[in-house]
Amino acid sequence: MSPRAKISLSEDELILALRNREKRGAEALYTMYSSSLYGVILRIVVEETAAEDVLQETFVKIWHSFSSYSAEKGRLFTWMVNIARNLAIDKVRSKDFKNQAKNQDIENNVTFIDGQNNTVYKPELLGLRDLVQTLKPEQKAILELVYFKGYTHVEAAEELGTPLGTIKTRLRMAIQALRKNFN
Amino acid sequence: MEDIKAYIESGILELYVLGEISAEERLQVEAMALKHPDIKGEIDAIEASLEEYAAANAIDPSANVRERVLNSMLINLGDDRVFPDKESRQADNVITMAPTEINFYKYAFAACLALLIVSIAVLVNLYDDLRDSQSQLISLQLEKQQFTQRVNLMDTQLSVFRDSTFRFIKLKGTPKTPASVMTVAWSPVKKKVMIDMAGLNLPKNDKQHQYQLWAIVDGKPVDLGVFDATAVSADSADMKEMKPVAAPQAFAVTLEKRGGSANPTMDEMVVISNI
Repeated sequence: MSPRAKISLSEDELILALRNREKRGAEALYTMYSSSLYGVILRIVVEETAAEDVLQETFVKIWHSFSSYSAEKGRLFTWMVNIARNLAIDKVRSKDFKNQAKNQDIENNVTFIDGQNNTVYKPELLGLRDLVQTLKPEQKAILELVYFKGYTHVEAAEELGTPLGTIKTRLRMAIQALRKNFN
Repeated sequence: MEDIKAYIESGILELYVLGEISAEERLQVEAMALKHPDIKGEIDAIEASLEEYAAANAIDPSANVRERVLNSMLINLGDDRVFPDKESRQADNVITMAPTEINFYKYAFAACLALLIVSIAVLVNLYDDLRDSQSQLISLQLEKQQFTQRVNLMDTQLSVFRDSTFRFIKLKGTPKTPASVMTVAWSPVKKKVMIDMAGLNLPKNDKQHQYQLWAIVDGKPVDLGVFDATAVSADSADMKEMKPVAAPQAFAVTLEKRGGSANPTMDEMVVISNI
């Protein structure tokens, strides 16, 4: 089993613990969601140290702005992953990060490139490979861009040279395919 | 119903879940979801599948990130609780050793301090006891000296009574003081004369006068010395030794001026006895 199974609360219990700002709430939150959130963040940011920083910022933001989460409007993970994705995109687009990426030393370049390649070879991605088999290539491309590259659907339309309406439909189809797969 | 189906199929709900729509559209979607359970259900399904998708693509962050993240979450609570990684806590013995060493010196210092305080208290007690003992010793020594003196005095007195050469002569009161009486011990061999001060019964003399003992030798008075008829204290001699005389015919006592006179004042004679 994955370490996520160590401390697990139901979503309702977790939300209550976070509202009350309990220490076990913070621990359970990290245990239950750090891997899923880190998977999204690392694919957007790529560089591990920066991704870890973003993960930290994400949890701090979740913790401190938890009062703005409303369970009626949607699942906890949806709210959290949007925070994570926005912070990751901010990071990638920040001046510091761009300069840092450009000014990589030659020595560091090897590890940097390795790091980039690593995301492809990570064993966690094997599951994705299997899953993605059931998706059509265009569905796979749109999901990768929007969910894991941090593109807006407008940017994705430009990137793929596809009309906006088609992008929306494809995204919907891709998610439909996911639903079938998981059900 | 057609409208709702079209709305669902427009793909706006997916963008809503991805957080990719404007605030206006967001409020619109939320209002629709409240009105139409189908839309709410669709949103739930999209959310669930994307959560599953993320879980299927999860990557574990490195182990040290956990503590860092949890600490930075809780630091603003004014909470100094630390979240040590369970595995590293077991592996790293140095961390657990360090505080115990500090504790050892802390406790050792406290123990030394406690010992010092106890020692001082004991020392003060012992010093008091020592002083008590010393003062007792001094008073015992004084007592012992007094007893020794007293025993010596009694020894000399006793030796007088044991000495068979002594004669004890009782001097009787004259008509002037008929109640007066005193005893004189006289040794013709040793020529010693002593007065029994304890058995003395004469009117008390004042500070200007003293009694003077006379011996009548060949009809003439010979001065044997002066004495006071006062209360006899315990440590004073009970037997007072006077000047020696060889062969007196009588002993007599007169009251004279302090220091004694060359010739006795016969009017002031208190006791007399012939031998």
